[in-house]
Amino acid sequence: MKGLIITTGSITHAIKGRDLLRKNGFKARISKRISGKNANGCAYEIYVDSNDYSIENLLLKSGIKIVDIN
Amino acid sequence: MIYFDNAATTGKKPLAVIKTVTTALQEYSANPGRSGHNLSIKTATAVYNVREKVANFFGASGAENVVFTLNCTQSINLVLKGVLKRGDHVIVSSLEHNAVMRPLKKIGISFDVAKVSLEDDEKTLEAFKNAIKPNTKMIFCTAASNVCGKLLPLEAIGKLCLKRHLLFGVDAAQGAGVLPINMGRMNIDYLCVAPHKGLYAPMGIGILICQKDIENTIIEGGTGTNSLELFQPTILPEKFESGTVNVPAILGVGAGLEYVEKLGLDKIYTHEMMLIKNLYKSLSKMDEIRLYTPPPQKDLYAPVLAFNYGDYKSDYVAEYLSQNGVAVRGGYHCAPIAHKHLGTLENGAVRVSVATFNTAKEIESLVHLLNSKKIRKKL
Repeated sequence: MKGLIITTGSITHAIKGRDLLRKNGFKARISKRISGKNANGCAYEIYVDSNDYSIENLLLKSGIKIVDIN
Repeated sequence: MIYFDNAATTGKKPLAVIKTVTTALQEYSANPGRSGHNLSIKTATAVYNVREKVANFFGASGAENVVFTLNCTQSINLVLKGVLKRGDHVIVSSLEHNAVMRPLKKIGISFDVAKVSLEDDEKTLEAFKNAIKPNTKMIFCTAASNVCGKLLPLEAIGKLCLKRHLLFGVDAAQGAGVLPINMGRMNIDYLCVAPHKGLYAPMGIGILICQKDIENTIIEGGTGTNSLELFQPTILPEKFESGTVNVPAILGVGAGLEYVEKLGLDKIYTHEMMLIKNLYKSLSKMDEIRLYTPPPQKDLYAPVLAFNYGDYKSDYVAEYLSQNGVAVRGGYHCAPIAHKHLGTLENGAVRVSVATFNTAKEIESLVHLLNSKKIRKKL
């Protein structure tokens, strides 16, 4: 599958991440995580049209808390 | 009516705020951070945009540090009850509101009151320095007295906190939107804001900005995330935002901030101080009037003035003014220690607090009412 899915435990962090990625030229959107996908329950995901894992650093540097990236 | 009770809440909200709140009810009526449908995400984005504006306005490090609360009092409670533990010591100023004093009393934390000089900020700073003990964890103080308008030297206190490794919390209920408050420059760790005052937002919304962690929560519940866990999330802002947030008011905060930014803090402060200085000048010529501060000077005072008329109870004077179309506040303004400091515990004080929409002509009307023979007959 093309692109990464970045999971955050917060709608605020998801929006911040989406906006940051868009400012950096990526196509990004957010979506609520599908129920049952993991043990914690509800979360929000950023879908980004890139397989470049360096975007994780970009997000972390801006204080975005990432639960999962794949 | 002439409205001079803006320290309680600004009496006229800008049209842009009213329109934004109406639009929020019409077009953003979905719960942000709960569902995944487009309207929920659109609303969450609108809320996020306000967080970002607030963070930029107050020099905070990130939008996620901006927590929306019910009011400034709740923000203060979250800080004091969430950070302080048994054995800690806190220093507050002699001009604090009960929003600070009552939570401290309730949790039984040891505290000292640093006496604020009404004329000399160096003396105020010395008082804070002298109150520091080995177990002092935090200085928590108001940005500006809600009774007499005296500003606290926040930047100097922030430097002191940095030097002595103390946390610094500020109750900016009266200062935000009138004075430049920058958390980074002033080394403020926790800023509590009442946006329905100087930011012209609707009532029923407060802001807490955290630059440092607050360990304990005082309210737990649904945050729309980690729903299968029974533990409260530790991530900001959700950690302190259990339950549905007040979206119309939050978007109103955004519109209020834009209004303030468009006018400019300098222009707002200059205009409001001009009104208060004029009032002070006129009142100081009247034998019956008692004033409690030196003439209000730029950078030392916020546009708030306390006075009394002879030995009359302040509430009687406020009632007389109300009957004649002027809204002010008498009594104790929920700040008994400030009244103790000013020597007004017996009668309270009449408080005049102005906003952007007040005019010099309105101040003249107030002075005229206080000068008229009618008041002597009424009181």
